[in-house]
Amino acid sequence: MTDKKSSGLHWFSPTFMRPGLALAAVGGFSLGALQWSVQAQAPAARDINPPVADCNTTQDTIPDQADPNKRVQQPIVPKLLTSGQPCAQIASGLGLVANNPLANRQRSFDFYSWLTFIALNSPADGKTIGQGPRPGGDATTKWESLANYRQLADVMLEKGVRPTWGERIVPDACKALDAPNKMILKLGEAAWNQPFKTGPLIDQNGNYAVFDILMNQPMFDFIDQNGLYSKQGQERFDNDVVFPLGNNPVTNNPDPTKNVPGRMGAVMIKVSWRILDPEKDKALMTKFHTVDALIYFPGPPATKTGPTCVAKTLGLIGFHVGHKTQFAEQWAWTTFEHVANAPDEEQVAKKTLQPPYSFYNPGCPTCPVNQTPPDPWDPPASLKFPTNDKSQVVRVKMLPRAVIQEVADLNRQFRALLKGTVWENYMLLATQWPAVHDSKTDCNGSPAPTYLANTTLETYSQGRVPLASSSCMACHGNATTQHVPATPSDFTFILEKAQCENGTCSAPAAGKRPAQALRCGLAGQLH
Amino acid sequence: MTDVTRRKIFGAAAGTLAGAAAATATAQPAQPAPRDPADVDLFVKLSAALTGIAEAKLAPPVDPVQVKNDYYDQARSDPSFAALMQIIRTDSANPASAADKVMNNADAKIKFLGRSIILAWYLGAWYPPVVLQQPAPASPVPPLKVISSAAYTQAWAYRVAQAHPMGYSELRFGYWSDEPLRLTDFVA
Repeated sequence: MTDKKSSGLHWFSPTFMRPGLALAAVGGFSLGALQWSVQAQAPAARDINPPVADCNTTQDTIPDQADPNKRVQQPIVPKLLTSGQPCAQIASGLGLVANNPLANRQRSFDFYSWLTFIALNSPADGKTIGQGPRPGGDATTKWESLANYRQLADVMLEKGVRPTWGERIVPDACKALDAPNKMILKLGEAAWNQPFKTGPLIDQNGNYAVFDILMNQPMFDFIDQNGLYSKQGQERFDNDVVFPLGNNPVTNNPDPTKNVPGRMGAVMIKVSWRILDPEKDKALMTKFHTVDALIYFPGPPATKTGPTCVAKTLGLIGFHVGHKTQFAEQWAWTTFEHVANAPDEEQVAKKTLQPPYSFYNPGCPTCPVNQTPPDPWDPPASLKFPTNDKSQVVRVKMLPRAVIQEVADLNRQFRALLKGTVWENYMLLATQWPAVHDSKTDCNGSPAPTYLANTTLETYSQGRVPLASSSCMACHGNATTQHVPATPSDFTFILEKAQCENGTCSAPAAGKRPAQALRCGLAGQLH
Repeated sequence: MTDVTRRKIFGAAAGTLAGAAAATATAQPAQPAPRDPADVDLFVKLSAALTGIAEAKLAPPVDPVQVKNDYYDQARSDPSFAALMQIIRTDSANPASAADKVMNNADAKIKFLGRSIILAWYLGAWYPPVVLQQPAPASPVPPLKVISSAAYTQAWAYRVAQAHPMGYSELRFGYWSDEPLRLTDFVA
């Protein structure tokens, strides 16, 4: 397979061309032709956000048969495991708690998060979650399939080359180790360094945790069709960055013009992995979703080591989903983690620990907690931290007590459905959502809950300090494009990873300011 | 309604900012005693009348921040709080009247507790009633403390100024090159 980085000719899929023809084709094209192909000969645009036939519209509560003014819990039963992915939340404010729309909407979002988690982690071959062929019913998941999601590193390509949906890219250094079932994880700083460059996460075996970011096709298509996959493409884009929204279908409006199909909208995923040894960690293989990975070190400037490629078995430890939906234009932010990552503060204080933990040593009560390891941080090819330091992580209490209890109740019920599978070992932390999505003065939509962090993905910024502690929306709300002047990038840092066309980062000309018709905080705006 | 003008609020805000550097801004309070939700609602009703800001703005129907709880907990630590709450409890159908009784109360402890509550909502900081009772000092008096990190970010003085606290903004990148939002966007 031709290495896409070197040829830059994305439409010549090597699977369809003999090597000799491919070489001739490469030789026959000039740099000017490449630029022409990128800018002017784009394939006809398809619908970025096409209708979806099977949006999951299951609500977290149903009317009480005895009293229609009340609502009762939706039974959490096996059919939910095959009910599909929600295209958007259903959070009316009615629910189990009288006169408390905040609590009821929180639960609605948390229920939607569980349905999303189940749908995304269902086998890519269409089977039911937990019924895969591997130990613990594990299988390649829907989000791991190139048909459904694409890794960030394969969208923001070297030299700002236009990416191709579905194309598997194997770096030269990985080819000798490659096999069809391998997942290729390309390291850059974001793949091992936590947000705000707060440092790497090191497990109790001394291994680096690694991270990856992926996007679904509507999000990819928006980037692709607007040329946002290169720095210069973003400089040329003088419009608002507004990713497509997910919405549930409307079929029963008396006004037929108001009936609309469901659409999924933009979804982005961030995952964290720990390294497992299939022999030494054999007992753990039925307790983690695992993948056989090839970890690619591109070499400077992305990594100090490399180019090189190492084969590792990875176990899933953290799972973020960001989904842009109707009434959650600031996105809905879901986060799950493995139950054995770390204890929480209360468990440590009451000594009700349940070891073993991936990131906590009960035998070291004086180890500093939630502290970044010492320099240097850049991972070697072994992915072993160079000193004996290991991360001692404790989950900080940052959620209101009512949310903790409600989420614990949902976790208990959903994990019972998944009992006997690897997936029973994952728990929802919470969902952050915009409580006032149409606020003119709070562009983050008044996030609820105010703070939210995953022990593996925001290890060192857990807490309750404004802007210093982790809040999905408060952080992502500051993301910008590489346009000059910089413009908001709709709650994603993905666009800042775009590289320069042809490897040449010329001084940008100042572009027009976008119309920003939809931008929160504009004086005189109509909405 | 109150004798606390916009100019006085901004002057006090400058003092709060100077004092906040020395005050405890981010320490988390100990777990408070349980709150009666009905009592908190009455406190918000009175606060709306004292501050001139609508109840639904002080404590929105869907409110993740719940800063009202921080101010309630702070105010009820004052010995005169029960007496102040009795006034609004008795006059809950007419909060303006209750606020007037607080601000003009014969008992100076209640009168100045009302002022402390106004400053809490506007500045996010606690000026004890006994301090406010003293003659106006020559230079701004730092507060006893910034009530909480949420109080710092939600203080109404900044919104009334169509601005935001230092180091914290809820607006989108580049907002500084636009006209400020209208006052009505914040308080209406």
